[in-house]
Amino acid sequence: MDFTLASFVNALILGLSIGSIFLVAALGLTIIYGTAGVINMAHGEFIMLGAYASYTLQNYLGVPFFLCIPLSFVVVALIGLVIERLLIRYLYDRPLDTLLATWGVSLVLMQGVRLIFGSDPKYIQMPSFLSTNIAAGPISVSIFRVFIFLVGIGLVAAVWWLFYKTEFGIKLRAVTQNKEMAASFGINSGQVYALTFALGAGLAGIAGSLFGVLNIVLPTMGMGYVVEAFLIVVTGGGALLGSILASGVTGEAQSIFAYIFNDTFAQFLVFVLIVIFLRFRPQGLIATGGARR
Amino acid sequence: MLMQLEDVSSYYGKTPILKRIDLNVPKGSCVCVLGRNGVGKTTLVRTIMGLVDRMTGKLSLSGDDLSNSRTDERAKHGIGYIPQGRQILGKFTVRENILLGTFAKKNRTSEIPEMCLELFPYLRENLNRRAGLLSGGQQQQLAIARALAVDPQILLLDEPTEGIQPNIVAEIGETLQMLNKKLGITLILTEQHIKVARKLGDRFVMMDNGRVVEEGEISALTDEVVHRHMTV
Repeated sequence: MDFTLASFVNALILGLSIGSIFLVAALGLTIIYGTAGVINMAHGEFIMLGAYASYTLQNYLGVPFFLCIPLSFVVVALIGLVIERLLIRYLYDRPLDTLLATWGVSLVLMQGVRLIFGSDPKYIQMPSFLSTNIAAGPISVSIFRVFIFLVGIGLVAAVWWLFYKTEFGIKLRAVTQNKEMAASFGINSGQVYALTFALGAGLAGIAGSLFGVLNIVLPTMGMGYVVEAFLIVVTGGGALLGSILASGVTGEAQSIFAYIFNDTFAQFLVFVLIVIFLRFRPQGLIATGGARR
Repeated sequence: MLMQLEDVSSYYGKTPILKRIDLNVPKGSCVCVLGRNGVGKTTLVRTIMGLVDRMTGKLSLSGDDLSNSRTDERAKHGIGYIPQGRQILGKFTVRENILLGTFAKKNRTSEIPEMCLELFPYLRENLNRRAGLLSGGQQQQLAIARALAVDPQILLLDEPTEGIQPNIVAEIGETLQMLNKKLGITLILTEQHIKVARKLGDRFVMMDNGRVVEEGEISALTDEVVHRHMTV
């Protein structure tokens, strides 16, 4: 391997981009798991639904790409809300059942989309200026990856604002810390869980509309992202800050290992390191101590 | 009567804890619930708050039937709750803990009710402090302020003096007396200290094995009654 400073800086920038993709994929799952303690196996399929929502809006209704992103949030959040009201709310105290039920939901969503759209790949078009690269000397980076990075920062800021600067945030954090006390002060925890689940699903929808541009849109596309999302959430400990740190470190590690060795070995190495890390710190980087019912 | 319990039983899982309780709480009174450890005092206040797995019988407040209401709905009817061990939210600031109480208020504003801070000047000076860092007595003040933010008709206090320094116990007693006598807030408190119960209470309810075994005016809480039901 020929080491040059420029190629190493390129690897660091790529690591940042991988980290931001991990973060966008894991954000919704972090909120659902961190607040309600639900291990949502259908999270990958919510991402897939976001991609199909954007594809449908763009190709059948002519909605511009930038508008598809928030609309995908709304569509998937509504689907998430319906699933929570019809199924998840009866299973909050039964973690194993929730895991199996959400896995079932993931299969239903995947097959449902296959029935409606077929199995052939779909494509989401992005504005042409996003498909170019920014170059500074030997360092080059795709504008779309910068866009994902910025969206990631924007979503984290929005979630932080929602959690710490709004009444809903006080309710949500109260329910997470002590469900009984929250109820004793007039907070309807069922309503908070429903809205949180919808929020998490909606964030997955945004991830889907971005990843649908990065890759092709397929009914099975969520399966790849859900593994990475779970790794980030578990390594981070279920907290927002934990997921930010975990995605940054994991993204950079993967990119640097890929730079030194190759992509496959880099992924293997990252997974091994995460397993070793969790062996010694099973609570993750930042333990939430939140709702684990 | 402000609150009435008629033939109320409650359960954790399938295990009955309270057995066919009848209780009348006059408006403006202070009812002390007494008894040995494990007789069902805490379960009584948790039943009123809707924090047990199952309840049978009838619970009414100001004539409204709350038997089938959720905990948050009961809070919105004006039931304030100070649980055993206070259970303030340690990661919240003092301000956020008090604001939590306002969610149960009918005409809610996002301001902390002035009365909460007038009663406890220490809390006013430490609004942005993390609540988990307060001492036991300060946390109890915060728990009372939080419950007052509900604007309650009735306040349930579960062992409010437990684990508090003796000099602070007297202060808390005075605060509760003021809430009851000056502001007219009805109190139901479970208590181990007979002295506190005699000082604050108008009425007493003696419990044993999940049942009310004796009740009456506080003047009827003689040493003989205490000896009969509370000595081990």
